[in-house]
Amino acid sequence: MCSRIEGAILSCASWLTPGAQRAEWLREWRAELWHARESTRIDRQITWEGEKAMLRFCSGAMQDAWTLRKLSLERKDPRTAFHGSAAECLLLLLALFATSYLLSQFLPGVRAESHPSVYRVNPNLIMIQDAFASDDSLATISIDKYRAWKARRQRYFDGFAFYRIAKEPVICRDSTKARWKVAHGSLNLFWMLGLPTTLSTVSGDAIGKTPGVILSDAAWRRDLGADPHIAGHVVRVGHDEARVIGVAPAGVWRLPGTMDAWLLEPDDANRGLGYVIAHLTSSGRSEMYASRVEILSLNTDEPNEELCGVSFADRTKGPWGLYQFTLFLAFLALPAVTSVSLGESHFCSYRPSWANRMFHWLFLGAKIALLLPAVYFASLDLAYWHTTTYSIGSQYIQLISSFAMMLFGLRWILLDQRNRCPVCLRRVTHPAQVGLAGRTFLAWNGTELMCAGGHTLLHVPALPTSWFSTQRWLYLDTSWKFLFVGTSAG
Amino acid sequence: MAPETKLSHTAALILQALQAGFVYGFSIMEMTGLPSGTVYPAMRRLERDGMIRSNWEKQSIADAEQRPPRKYYKLTATGNTTLEAARKRYPLLERLLPSEEMKQT
Repeated sequence: MCSRIEGAILSCASWLTPGAQRAEWLREWRAELWHARESTRIDRQITWEGEKAMLRFCSGAMQDAWTLRKLSLERKDPRTAFHGSAAECLLLLLALFATSYLLSQFLPGVRAESHPSVYRVNPNLIMIQDAFASDDSLATISIDKYRAWKARRQRYFDGFAFYRIAKEPVICRDSTKARWKVAHGSLNLFWMLGLPTTLSTVSGDAIGKTPGVILSDAAWRRDLGADPHIAGHVVRVGHDEARVIGVAPAGVWRLPGTMDAWLLEPDDANRGLGYVIAHLTSSGRSEMYASRVEILSLNTDEPNEELCGVSFADRTKGPWGLYQFTLFLAFLALPAVTSVSLGESHFCSYRPSWANRMFHWLFLGAKIALLLPAVYFASLDLAYWHTTTYSIGSQYIQLISSFAMMLFGLRWILLDQRNRCPVCLRRVTHPAQVGLAGRTFLAWNGTELMCAGGHTLLHVPALPTSWFSTQRWLYLDTSWKFLFVGTSAG
Repeated sequence: MAPETKLSHTAALILQALQAGFVYGFSIMEMTGLPSGTVYPAMRRLERDGMIRSNWEKQSIADAEQRPPRKYYKLTATGNTTLEAARKRYPLLERLLPSEEMKQT
């Protein structure tokens, strides 16, 4: 009876052991139990004390089986195998990309920028400015010149629009007072730019009686409580009354100035310096050989005037165009911050297999492929973290952050790639300082790193010399294998 | 495991018992007075650390003695070095279980 209980205890305990070791473990314990039983029997008699000792002996099998299980788990610890592996690196980049992408989906500014149709303008438009203006955002053209150009027959242009910016006191329909940045524009301003408006329900007759005003999305939400029935209501802009004819969606206005409203009025009501937008004829389009062209205004009674025409393509690129530009800049600047060499040189006859080399390059490609979208979305997140609409400030933030992240991200990728074993793509570890430049100037000195899988040694010189200027890989032969037996990386 | 690794008293006692010629788990239990739940797990760890290694005795030997074959344990070179270091830490170890060389002297 007791031997059955002991057998059952051993059988139960054996299920705790790893399957591969179970049979041997059970065999050892049964043999030990046999010897233990023999030693407790006095004159082949079964005693109560002896049976109790046997049960105590068998109870130790549980602890032993559990220990064996723990040791087996330690050997198989996936964290050890995962640490420093290529998969860990790719997952890290993937997580970075996923985080930045998910974050961007919650930012209204990024969502608006993600729809390029919103800010797409007519490609045949240019902005005419004074050729000597130091800044593109300065208003340089007077309303008189605009009127004169408009009245004259033009070879290169078949339409003009004008606007100037002024800060105006505004009284809304419920007597709420505010001070808005208002663009006083010609009647065809929005039509020529092809900008969409929402909530437009007022007929043309109504517009003719009082000037129409288009509200910005921000002003509509801030000062008019996002009233969906605002179209047709009259607001006082400056000294005049204007009827609300629509709301411009956030982010549509890409021209100089951040507006709260656009007051569309006849040309004779406008004054001062402003901005002129011109629509190109087919002849004009053929003359637009660059994004910025010189224009000579021939005047009969005044000296000729030097102007310049700036294509809208640059202004309406959106975040994608900006990102492409920073990507180009980062690749251009990369050799200045790190060596673009991957340290592939080696000083032994062994060469990694074709498959190994292919995986090496695929891994590099995968890292870059994951970095590119991660930087794009992360730079958008930073640019539109505090703002919901397009602004010059957000453009600058995107430009700087995208360039910095791209440059240092690519630098990290190259540094990481140089420290990866060409055979298993695992990061080399166990750095060991060898020699001191001050003491052994003529001998090799630097850092040696080893692949945890026992494939390679990496020699990185402390001082690049003419005979040892870059890092070198040493492929370990099979005589090293015994050192790495049982390592998860091997 | 490095030779200078500090062993627990139990592990040192087991190594000392092995060096004294007690090569089976149960015999180590008898000599040291340690329970099975301590001896066998400690031996698994010592084997993992390369201080002891195990082998099965030949079936023919066991058959001749009409008993099941047993798994016996032996000290490795690392185990010997570690035990030497442990003896300095636990001076009474050799008196508790004198090794075969000590018995001969």
